[in-house]
Amino acid sequence: MVNVVKEQKGNALIVRLAGSIEESVNFDQLIGIPPAELHVNCKEVPRINSVGVKAWIKYFQSCQAKGTILKFTDCSTAIVEQINLISNFICGGTVESIFVPFSCTGCKSELVGLFKTDDLKKLNLNLPDLKCSKCSGKAVFDDIPEEYFAFLTR
Amino acid sequence: MAQLLLISAKPEDRTFVETIAAATGLGLKIVATAEDGAEFISTQPVFAVFADTSTELQYQQLESAIQASIGLFSDKINANAFHFISSEELQRVHYLIKSQLFGHFIIRPKDPVEAGRHYARIVKSTQANRAFGLQNLLSDKAKVQIIKFQISTQKQNAVEAVKNYLLQAKFQSRMATVVANAVDELLMNAMFDAPVDDLGRPTLASTSRATAIKLDDKHTVELQIGYDGEFVGAMATDLFGSLDKNKLLSHISKIYTEEEYKVKTAVAGAGIGLATVFRSGGSFFFVSEVQVRTEVTVFFKRADSFREFKDQFRFISTQFYF
Repeated sequence: MVNVVKEQKGNALIVRLAGSIEESVNFDQLIGIPPAELHVNCKEVPRINSVGVKAWIKYFQSCQAKGTILKFTDCSTAIVEQINLISNFICGGTVESIFVPFSCTGCKSELVGLFKTDDLKKLNLNLPDLKCSKCSGKAVFDDIPEEYFAFLTR
Repeated sequence: MAQLLLISAKPEDRTFVETIAAATGLGLKIVATAEDGAEFISTQPVFAVFADTSTELQYQQLESAIQASIGLFSDKINANAFHFISSEELQRVHYLIKSQLFGHFIIRPKDPVEAGRHYARIVKSTQANRAFGLQNLLSDKAKVQIIKFQISTQKQNAVEAVKNYLLQAKFQSRMATVVANAVDELLMNAMFDAPVDDLGRPTLASTSRATAIKLDDKHTVELQIGYDGEFVGAMATDLFGSLDKNKLLSHISKIYTEEEYKVKTAVAGAGIGLATVFRSGGSFFFVSEVQVRTEVTVFFKRADSFREFKDQFRFISTQFYF
């Protein structure tokens, strides 16, 4: 079940989603009437199922129809996967930043790094290696680049 | 004795099917052309046909040859026995999805021996009168657990339990999440899409998936999950036996990267669950006895990296009993 923390910053409503998005989600209740500008932080969304995707698109399409400026920030890997699978998942909004998955070549730990999409475009898929926070080993990007970053070229 | 037939000139297909033949104890005949294959089917008992259908022309040659020799609706062989092998993704082979002969779709594996050993269990299970049950689809090392539901709202707890089970089994959390999501989709389909009335009309199509549905009698839904140290298999069972192959293939092959996803408000389901699971590395085995029972199994191989996990050997197998 997903929870929402809301914060008003100037003209923008910032919402932080936390939890799995599935059939019980009701964005109309959680977020309310679409504001002029909406920033959606998706850092803590570990999972979204198909009915959650449908509810997401339905709500954010209504935002799009009302002219809301939509920005998605700190998108978790689960959200990035949906952005790549469904062309209209972000409903006319922009993806500001995403978490990129890494895997340590030494201890095999999973890591994520937060990247701005503008920076990723400049890197042209040549991601830097990270230092593993557990063993200080080398952590490398762990997904299929052409798939994980497909939305950047759309 | 019935045997396997391979219609392909590709050495990797030969290795794949030879591995299956060795594991199942079935004999193997290999031919290079569809005409030779159809001729063989018309004269010899064949248990399963594996055919290279990488191009539409290859498929058309197979269909024409079968039509000319025994006919597409022969009692000698039916769709359950046809295994189409292709290097292309499902959405690129619409000619197979529309085929009257579609039984199984295999994306040509990178490691035909390892894939053959896994796929052999599917073939072996179809040798039984009914290919039901998860235990036979995993190696002997697998311990299969059964979860029975009383009410549909227990689904999310089961999904989280599956995720935790896999984390304990040292799956990466992203892999565990993908498998858990697959289980979620299978259960949702079994609970809400499978129920039909006496005329076969869906009874819960427009019912919100958050509704608490009592899962007893005909609505009984069961989840089996097993892990053999290599593959995890999760199976959802319902007692309606209402699976429609054409609808299934249409859903599973749909992609929304080139066209927009349109929200349909008349139905509560999203219609994208299985397609997402397949694109995330999952393989499916659908077994349905009409009006009796449907079992849908999803398989994932544990991998050391998510990249490898996503890029694993995949297939869609169907087995229908009328």
